[in-house]
Amino acid sequence: MSIIPSAKSTGALYWPVQARRNIGVRSLFLVVLAFLVAYGVLFPGLFTASGFAKFTQSWFPLALVAMAQAILMLTGGISLAIGATVSLGAVIAATTMAGPLGVAGGTAAVALAGLGIGAATGFIVVKLRLPAIVVTLAGSFIIGGAALLILPRPGGSIPAWLSDLLAGDTPAAFVLLVVIVLLWKLYLATPLGLSLYAAGENPVGAYRSGVPVDAARVAAYAISGLLSTGAGLFVAAQTGSGDPVIGTAFTLNSIAAAVLGGIGFLGGQGTMRGALAGSLLLSLMISVMFFLGFTPVAQYVAQGLIIIGAVAIPQFRKVQP
Amino acid sequence: MMKSSFFASASVLCLGLVLAFGAGSQANAAAKCIKGDRKAPYTIGWANIYSVPTWMKQTQGTIEAEVETLKKQGLVDKLVVTDAQGDANVQIQQIQSMIDSNVDAIILIAGSSTAPARVIADACAKGIAIINFDSLVDTDQVTAKVNTDSSQWGDQAAKFLINAIGGKGKILILNGPAGVSVSDDRRKGADAELKAHPDVKILAETNTPYNVAPAQEAVTSLLFANPEIDGILSLGGALSAGAVLALDKQGRDQVPITGENARQFLELWKEKSLKSWATMQPNWLGAFATYTAVQALEGKDVPAFVKIPLPVIDNSNIDEYLARAKDFPADGYIYSPYDEALFKKLLAQK
Repeated sequence: MSIIPSAKSTGALYWPVQARRNIGVRSLFLVVLAFLVAYGVLFPGLFTASGFAKFTQSWFPLALVAMAQAILMLTGGISLAIGATVSLGAVIAATTMAGPLGVAGGTAAVALAGLGIGAATGFIVVKLRLPAIVVTLAGSFIIGGAALLILPRPGGSIPAWLSDLLAGDTPAAFVLLVVIVLLWKLYLATPLGLSLYAAGENPVGAYRSGVPVDAARVAAYAISGLLSTGAGLFVAAQTGSGDPVIGTAFTLNSIAAAVLGGIGFLGGQGTMRGALAGSLLLSLMISVMFFLGFTPVAQYVAQGLIIIGAVAIPQFRKVQP
Repeated sequence: MMKSSFFASASVLCLGLVLAFGAGSQANAAAKCIKGDRKAPYTIGWANIYSVPTWMKQTQGTIEAEVETLKKQGLVDKLVVTDAQGDANVQIQQIQSMIDSNVDAIILIAGSSTAPARVIADACAKGIAIINFDSLVDTDQVTAKVNTDSSQWGDQAAKFLINAIGGKGKILILNGPAGVSVSDDRRKGADAELKAHPDVKILAETNTPYNVAPAQEAVTSLLFANPEIDGILSLGGALSAGAVLALDKQGRDQVPITGENARQFLELWKEKSLKSWATMQPNWLGAFATYTAVQALEGKDVPAFVKIPLPVIDNSNIDEYLARAKDFPADGYIYSPYDEALFKKLLAQK
C-alpha cells in the first residue's frame, strides 16, 4: 500500500478535511443561517439587488477587519491597532483621491501605508521579540495620532463615482469580498501561507522543520495592515469622506468576530471562514434586533447573550462524549 | 478688462438665476426631503449615537415626552429608537434599517460629521423628514439642522473669563476630546478673544472626554506643574466640575471658571461661591427636533437651519436653576424650561 496520495485521492481528501475543520464552527454557521433567515423574513427587501447591496456593504468593512485580526491570531499574534489603521486608511483615501494623485494613486497610497505599517509592526514584534499586545497598543496611539494629523477633523472627499461604485446599489462589495476570500485561499497555497498555521501552532517545531516562521509572521502583519487600511478605504467610499476616528470600534469588533468564529488566542487554531461568519453574525445582529423592535437596553443584553451562546454551543458538544 | 466685464455680467446673470430659483422654492412651501405622500400618524425614528451618557438619557427623555404629546394629538403613533453604542458605522447601518422599515421621520445626533452623509441623502430621497441636531452632518440633504452655535459658546466663555480676570493672567483651557467637531468648534470660537488679549497667557490645554474624573485627573497634574493660575476656561460642564474638585482637593483657592449647566457644577458653583458663567446645550433640542419633524411632515415650511440661542447662567440667575435641581438627575444637566410656544417662535425665526 502506497502512502503517497495520487492526484485523485488528494481531491477526495480535500472535502473530508474541510468538513473536519468545520466541526468547531458548524453551530456558528447554523446561528448565522438562522439570523439570515430571520432577517429575510423581517425585511423582504433584502432579496432585492439594492437591499442585498446595502446589507453586504454594512458587513464588508467588518469582514475585512475580522480577516485582518484572524490572520494575526492564527500566527499567535494579535493587534490592538486595527481600528486606528482603519481610520488612517480612511483619511488617506479621503485626502488623496480627490487631489492630484487620483483614485489610483490614492488606492496605492492606502495600500502602501497598510503594508508598511503592518510590516513595521510585524518586524518589531517578531524580530525584537516584543509582546504583540504592547507593540500594537502603542502602535494604535501612533497610527491614530497620524490619522488626526492628516485630517484633524472629519472632512476630505471621495469621488462620487467611486462611492457609487463601491457602495451604491450594486453588490460590488460582495463581489470584492468573494475575490478577497479567493485570494486568501490562494495565499494559503503559497509557502508563506502554508507556514502560517505551523508558525502559530508550534513555532519551535515549525522552525526546526525548516518553516520560515519569522517571515510568515511578518507577512501576516503586513497583510493584516493591508486589509485594515483597505477597510478604511471602503468606509471612506461608503461615507463619501474621511473621519480620523471612524475606525475605533473596529479593534474590539475584529477580536470579537475572530473569537466568535472559533479562532484561538494561542495561534494555529481556527479558520478564516469562521472569522467571516463571526463578523457576519455581529453585523446581522444589529439589523435583526432593529426589525424585532428591541429597545437599546434590550439590545445590549441580547447581544451579549447571542455572543456567549454562539461561543458556548460547540463547547457543550465537546463535553458530552 | 474684457474678461473681467464678461465675468461681471456672467455673475450678475448667475445671481439673477439664483434669486429666481430662490423665489421659486419659496413659493413651494414644503420643507426639504418632504414629498407630501406621508400621512399622520407618523412613525419617528430616533437614531441615537450613544445612549449611555446622562445628557443623552435626558435628551431622549424630552423626545419621549414630546412623542407622548404628539400621540395625544394623533400626529405620531410610534417611536423607534436605536443606539449605535458610539460607533458611527453602526449608526449608518441603523439609519439604513430605518429607511428599510420605512419610518416617516428620522431625528439624529450624528456620530461623525461626515460619515452618515450618504445614507442620509438616501433617506431624504425617499421623502423621509430628517432633523439633525446637536452633532451635525456636513450635508444639505436634510429637512433641517438644529443646534446652538459652538463657536459662539467658545467666544462668550472666553469673553467672560478674560473680563473676570481683568484682561490679563495665566489660564488653563479644558477641552473635550480631540477630533470631535463640537470640542474643536468651541475652542476655535475662543481664539479671537484670546488673540485680542496677549496678556492672557495660556499655561496648558487639556483634551479629555466630557467626564468629571478624567478632567479632574488632568487638572490635578497641571496644578502641580503650575503654582499660579488665575482662571480656567473650561469648555464643558463636567470638565469644570472636575477642575473645581481638583482645586479643592489640592487646597488651592478657586479661580474664575466657565462651565456648562451640569447639575454637579452648578451646585459646586453655589457651594464654593464661585465667580462663574455657564451656558448649555439644551436637552430639549431632542423634543424640538421631534416637533420640527412633525411640522415638516404636516407640510409646514421649516428653516434649513434653526439656530438655538445659547441660554446663559450667571451669578444673577443661578438660583433659579438650582431651585429646579431636584427634578434632574444628580449627574445630569439642568436645562432651561421649554414649551410649544418657544418651539413655534424658534421655527418662525429666519
